[in-house]
Amino acid sequence: MAAGVAAWLPFARAAAIGWMPVASAPMPPPPREMRRGQDGLIMLNVSGTRFQTWRNTLERYPDTLLGSTERDFFFHEETNEYFFDRDPDIFRHILNFYRTGKLHYPRHECISAYDEELAFFGIIPEIIGDCCYEEYKDRRRENTERIQDDEENENNNDLVLPELSFRESMWRAFENPHTSTMALVFYYVTGFFIAVSVMANVVETVPCSSGPNRAKEVSCGERYALAFFCLDTACVMIFTVEYLLRLIAAPSRYKFVKSVMSIIDVVAIMPYYIGLVMTDNEDVSGAFVTLRVFRVFRIFKFSRHSAGLRILGYTLKSCASELGFLLFSLTMAIIIFATVMFYAEKGSSATKFTSIPAAFWYTIVTMTTLGYGDMVPKTIMGKIFGSVCSLSGVLVIALPVPVIVSNFSRIYHQSQRAEKRRAQKKTRLARIRATKSGGANAYLQYKRNGMLADAEEEASKEAGQSLVCKINPTFETQHHHLLHCLEKTTNHEFVDEQTYETNCMEVSLTKPSMSRSSSMSSSPHGLSSCCTRRNKRKSFNVSNSNMVGGRRGSIQELSTIQIRERPMSNSRSSLNAKFEETVPLNSEDQSYITAAVISMPTPPVTTPEGGDSASSHDFLQSNIVRVSAL
Amino acid sequence: MSSCRKRCKRQILKFAQYFFRFITGTLNADSVEDELELSAVRHRPEALELLEAQTRFSRKELQILYRGFKNECPSGVVNEDTFKEIYAQFFPQGDASTYAHFLFNAFDTDHNGSVSFEDFVMGLSILLRGTVQEKLNWAFNLYDINKDGYITKEEMLDIIKSIYDMMGKCTYPILKEETPRQHVEIFFQKMDKNRDGVVTIDEFIDCCQNDENIMRSMQLFENVI
Repeated sequence: MAAGVAAWLPFARAAAIGWMPVASAPMPPPPREMRRGQDGLIMLNVSGTRFQTWRNTLERYPDTLLGSTERDFFFHEETNEYFFDRDPDIFRHILNFYRTGKLHYPRHECISAYDEELAFFGIIPEIIGDCCYEEYKDRRRENTERIQDDEENENNNDLVLPELSFRESMWRAFENPHTSTMALVFYYVTGFFIAVSVMANVVETVPCSSGPNRAKEVSCGERYALAFFCLDTACVMIFTVEYLLRLIAAPSRYKFVKSVMSIIDVVAIMPYYIGLVMTDNEDVSGAFVTLRVFRVFRIFKFSRHSAGLRILGYTLKSCASELGFLLFSLTMAIIIFATVMFYAEKGSSATKFTSIPAAFWYTIVTMTTLGYGDMVPKTIMGKIFGSVCSLSGVLVIALPVPVIVSNFSRIYHQSQRAEKRRAQKKTRLARIRATKSGGANAYLQYKRNGMLADAEEEASKEAGQSLVCKINPTFETQHHHLLHCLEKTTNHEFVDEQTYETNCMEVSLTKPSMSRSSSMSSSPHGLSSCCTRRNKRKSFNVSNSNMVGGRRGSIQELSTIQIRERPMSNSRSSLNAKFEETVPLNSEDQSYITAAVISMPTPPVTTPEGGDSASSHDFLQSNIVRVSAL
Repeated sequence: MSSCRKRCKRQILKFAQYFFRFITGTLNADSVEDELELSAVRHRPEALELLEAQTRFSRKELQILYRGFKNECPSGVVNEDTFKEIYAQFFPQGDASTYAHFLFNAFDTDHNGSVSFEDFVMGLSILLRGTVQEKLNWAFNLYDINKDGYITKEEMLDIIKSIYDMMGKCTYPILKEETPRQHVEIFFQKMDKNRDGVVTIDEFIDCCQNDENIMRSMQLFENVI
């Protein structure tokens, strides 16, 4: 029941007096009059903007923050009002909800900010009114898609399962050619051969100049039959090998076989094999020739290589209903006009409009404004209807086209946006990391200076000045103290990035570095068993494999502080060592609220730490540990 | 014949107008009549003091009532459809539109098709703060659909049916076809003293005043506001 109607309840109850004389049974006693609190005004102060409303208005919805006793937590005695440190612009809409019973969504607001406010005030978004609900749902969907996109991309690019089986790694290579050089090479080679194959198909029909003693021209295909045959064989072999490899590597073979791309692959190579089987059989040679037409399907294999083509295909699929409508309306119009033209031209002699199906050709050519001129009306009526036909043709075709175009545009822009976001993300992360490292460096400075009270200010000044504008000294001191406590607790230490990198480099020298990709891990035992937060295997990253410094940065979550320790012994056999683990935040949905320390027990692989000035203490044990602090 | 011709002429004129607008592309332009209608009916109630004098509500009660009224009907008057909508929200299981129609007629004392705040408040004043006599009078007015001073069996049947409609069909025990009719019979048995097939106001008031149950139930809603 809408809240506004609640005001009419007294009226409805009063009108019930109309039932009294005809009542067949005595009435129940009325409910006890509850001692109603005085109907006063409530003052709500939201970040300085004052709102006032009746107490009753707020109490219409007792299961929200404002309508229940929960608001007492926000009561501010000195000013005798309820103070909320939230966004006043969005609060306006929330208060309107209490007043009118309808929740509206302002279009210019960010959807996540709005959702947060709703969640804070205890209002479920499902009650948004019909006028704004569609917009809200659309924006929400866009937002979740974007988040999903980001997650997928990160998962694809950064994280890897250290224990990928050969099959799985092969599948990854096929799906994302950028993950390894082998895959890239394979990608380009197949692309090249597709192009070669298509070109060969085209060129072999071109008439080559024949010898002087021949009567008719032959096509190049017939002249150099052997060469073309060899070329075709080579291409088909490559395609077959590729298809078989994909089939083997696919995680779900059945799904793979059903997919469109695999069907295209099969159709592209089948004609060759069928041709091999059926050569020189005269009855079916006609069919054999037809089968060669299917070779042109090889060009569709390019869609694996081109995103634009895939988008086009996807658009056509999503506009299936518009296309269907276009087809249907065209057919209707064709039939109508063909009939009319046939009967109009029936009278004229030697007319080309011999039957209605014959008139179809004329109608199609006219409606699409082609106008070949092979069939032309001669009677006056025919000419009149013919002109009407061409005019209406433009309309009928033009109507559904914008829908298809707008769909294509939307999907294309979405993919563009995803690309742009990915590109921007790298720079954004780099910038933010620089800021954060300023904070981390402050702590290291502070330690270096012996943890004296005076040193704090220096440290904060030094580290912070370039990147962070103003640092609250008390905050910094307390923060540093906290980090120090953490160090003491875990018996590990914080170090800075360079020393860490050097250590990593040294370790990497002991085993062949895989590649610039993090997907193929060389150490299958990269996981440590001691991490308590392991949920999904792919959340762990063996940093062994990320030797290139820049690569590491992309995985790093924004608020990650690296803790590194000095390695212990000098053993270089790192392959078996459970070296390190990282728990990047972004791979999981959980939020790691406190610092999660993952420590490596045994046996640590170490490298001599060269000149690490960060720690003046003598650490026995150090492993590289990544700690995320939110 | 001439009427036929006149009609033909009118049609031709309309078609010519339509064709002209078709050519000039003004087929869907807003006509003047539409623009006039956009300015909605607005009604401002009489002054608070006047209403205070005319009804038995205190100033504060009138303020609360008006705020609720204006919230739901910003234009100041309720027309029948809005009235039905509002009333139907209280009885979601059944169909309250017929009873709301009768109620609307009872509240709309000047029969101008809309209930203004004054009508509303007058009606409520009687129902909540009036004497038993006034209340019974009001009820009689409600039942007497054509306002001729007599309640016939058909009128009563309509009223009772509309009350049963508000129950909806999910009732226990199941509502049967003849239940309203039986109910009307019982009512007429009780009220129609001289068995002339109609109930007059005096019969009605007399009978109600002698019935304990009815008297008690009239006091039920004293404290609604």
